[in-house]
Amino acid sequence: MSDMVNREKFGDVVVLHIRTNSVDAVSAAAIEAACNEMQPITVLNFAEVSFINSAGISVLLKFVVKARKAGYKLFAMNLSPHHQKIFKMVEMSRFMPTIEERDLSSYRQS
Amino acid sequence: MQDNQHVEVNIPSNPIFERVVRASAAEIGEALDFPEDRIEDLKLAVSEAVTNAIEHGNQNMIHKLVEIVFALDQEKLEVRITDQGSGIGEMILPSEVVMITEQTLDERTGGGFGLSLIKAMVDDCEVQSSNRGTIIILRLYRKGQEQ
Repeated sequence: MSDMVNREKFGDVVVLHIRTNSVDAVSAAAIEAACNEMQPITVLNFAEVSFINSAGISVLLKFVVKARKAGYKLFAMNLSPHHQKIFKMVEMSRFMPTIEERDLSSYRQS
Repeated sequence: MQDNQHVEVNIPSNPIFERVVRASAAEIGEALDFPEDRIEDLKLAVSEAVTNAIEHGNQNMIHKLVEIVFALDQEKLEVRITDQGSGIGEMILPSEVVMITEQTLDERTGGGFGLSLIKAMVDDCEVQSSNRGTIIILRLYRKGQEQ
């Protein structure tokens, strides 16, 4: 696991906290490596991410593809309003819907 | 801010320096009092155009430069991104944003969003290409802003 992604696991849930502010061509390979950490419910936490470009969208799609092949559920958390706009524009939000922090609390307690 | 000003940035064809241009775009957007969402649009469009210039224009050859000129006048901010490649022939910008579908999921992991995102983020853009390189010109109009 790279320094760019921290893993928090509880039960069947893993939250992958992205620790870089740019999801772009430079960080793509390190972020992609976290694909191997996916669990039946995987949440990508974008709280520290201030920029995503098309190279970033492409690497995030690799999580989508892997999740669908494994039958896993994949969610995005703490997306900025601009990134929500972009995700909606390219229909990424169909494949990686957003989840709220509070929705995770029931999993954390179980 | 005084009008008719230019800011020029030249970077080697290394993707890490795209971040320098993006930071410059953000600063210029702030200096022009663009709203936050407009600055994010500007950053994304510039990022995509510079990445295209590095990867497709200059073929990631680090000694080739990408020149970025931010030109401000009373009406607009114009950003010109020029590579030192051998040109791309005629390019038609996509009329709509490329969307992810069930059928294109795998294909899109390899990219293909860049140009359509550029077009969606700015008011106007054009591409000029010759055997001496390609120029992408982005325009964001200052409509509704106090001059």
